[in-house]
Amino acid sequence: MALIKADSQTIPPSPQPPMRGLPALLADLAAADPAVRRTAVRDLAGYPQAAMNLCDLLEREANSSVRAALFSTLITLHSPAVAGRLAVHLHSDDVALRNGAIEALQEMPDAVAPHLQRLLSDDDSDVRIFAVNILAVLRHLQAPEWLAAVVRSDPHINVCAAAIDGLAEVGRPESLSDLADLRRRFAGNAFMEFAIDAAMRRIRGE
Amino acid sequence: MMVTLSANPAKGLAPVMTDGEYAKFCEFFYRKTGIQYQENKKYYVERRVSDRIEKTGSESFRDYFTMIRFQASGEEFQFLVNTLTVNETYFFREDYQFDALVSGILPGIAQTKQHGAPIRIWSVPCSSGEEPYSIAINILERWDQSDTWNIEIHASDIDTKILQEARGGIYSERSLARVSAQLRSKYFVRRLDGSFQICTELRDSIDFSLVNVVDPLHTRRFRDLDVIFCRNLLIYFDDVGRRETVEMFFEALAPGGFVCLGHSESLSRISSIFRPRKFKDTIVYQKPAE
Repeated sequence: MALIKADSQTIPPSPQPPMRGLPALLADLAAADPAVRRTAVRDLAGYPQAAMNLCDLLEREANSSVRAALFSTLITLHSPAVAGRLAVHLHSDDVALRNGAIEALQEMPDAVAPHLQRLLSDDDSDVRIFAVNILAVLRHLQAPEWLAAVVRSDPHINVCAAAIDGLAEVGRPESLSDLADLRRRFAGNAFMEFAIDAAMRRIRGE
Repeated sequence: MMVTLSANPAKGLAPVMTDGEYAKFCEFFYRKTGIQYQENKKYYVERRVSDRIEKTGSESFRDYFTMIRFQASGEEFQFLVNTLTVNETYFFREDYQFDALVSGILPGIAQTKQHGAPIRIWSVPCSSGEEPYSIAINILERWDQSDTWNIEIHASDIDTKILQEARGGIYSERSLARVSAQLRSKYFVRRLDGSFQICTELRDSIDFSLVNVVDPLHTRRFRDLDVIFCRNLLIYFDDVGRRETVEMFFEALAPGGFVCLGHSESLSRISSIFRPRKFKDTIVYQKPAE
């Protein structure tokens, strides 16, 4: 028989010993081997004081698996300060980095909340769209109200369209009058009329 | 709103769990196991918790919750995990993945692996053992290079009771519905009560162990794996739990190693660090070489 008795205790141990201290783990963030950096990033999930070091690494890390570990650990260590550092990447031209930041921010509702008004007022309409994308799946009681505020005030059609999509998912009956106003604002635009009508139907439960 | 539990109305037992307590319990259970229960699972969870409250003689949910959080041995928490986890499976389930294993995955690994080094396969969660035994039988029967490699099969679950069953390897006719008569006679022994037991040689070749996939202390020892079967587990996790588990797999696999998920699951929706590979009728996920 080709099967040999396996024993999980005999698998070669991880090159890094378990339960390493903070200084050793921080030093490993600069290691040349991505596997060492990745292990350190994962183990730093137990050290909230390492959050800013991890944010620093995210700015220069090119390896996708280390980046993925960074996002997961930063979600674990979530705080308004972490969310603020992640929000900077919404301006990035690196699509993977930007999307990773958006997904991570979606997982930290209370931490990202203090930054949303700023992101929703950004001069760059793309950043405002990304902020709406975060809001649309954010587990935060105020998310529908913030989306409604976007359709009331944002001048950019694509930002409003993103907010309509969000409201179609999480909107409440109170959002209906804002959507009706938006429909008047973009009267004659077939796409917007269609999207708004669809969202209103969903909110009404039709 | 108060929720009345009535797991055993005949005895007049009516322990009470408030909505707040249910939320608190779910949060605690999630932190410990990675398994998340939503509102729609409330009845399912409450019935089982109620049963444990009764069996432990706890006065109330509050007493019971205190016990599972602070009991030094962790014994009752393990009982609860055993009660709340789902263990329905059978031999050769989703067998197109075993086809992929023997016709594509293993031959590919054999091309790049140093001869003499073992090929390591991990089945998690292994439930009552049908999956790891199915893997073993498929390899022995259908991979023409199986005699020339040392193959280790590790099998893990969070449920100690089900692990005990897996080690025992005793199954009903229903569990063997997809196993041919020829394979039954080769790998199983018929028992007097009509059930079937996996032959001793096969039972002894698989390493069964208790593993909570979201506990790094449990998973850290798994390294240099070539294939991970993790089917129908991630569907119970929330986004963060899925991310962490997928990253643990990445850590545990050797470069070029594979993850096989259940038919309704996709790694691409969770993480982009694996490369999807199509083998026959299934898509599996490969860790790139670093």
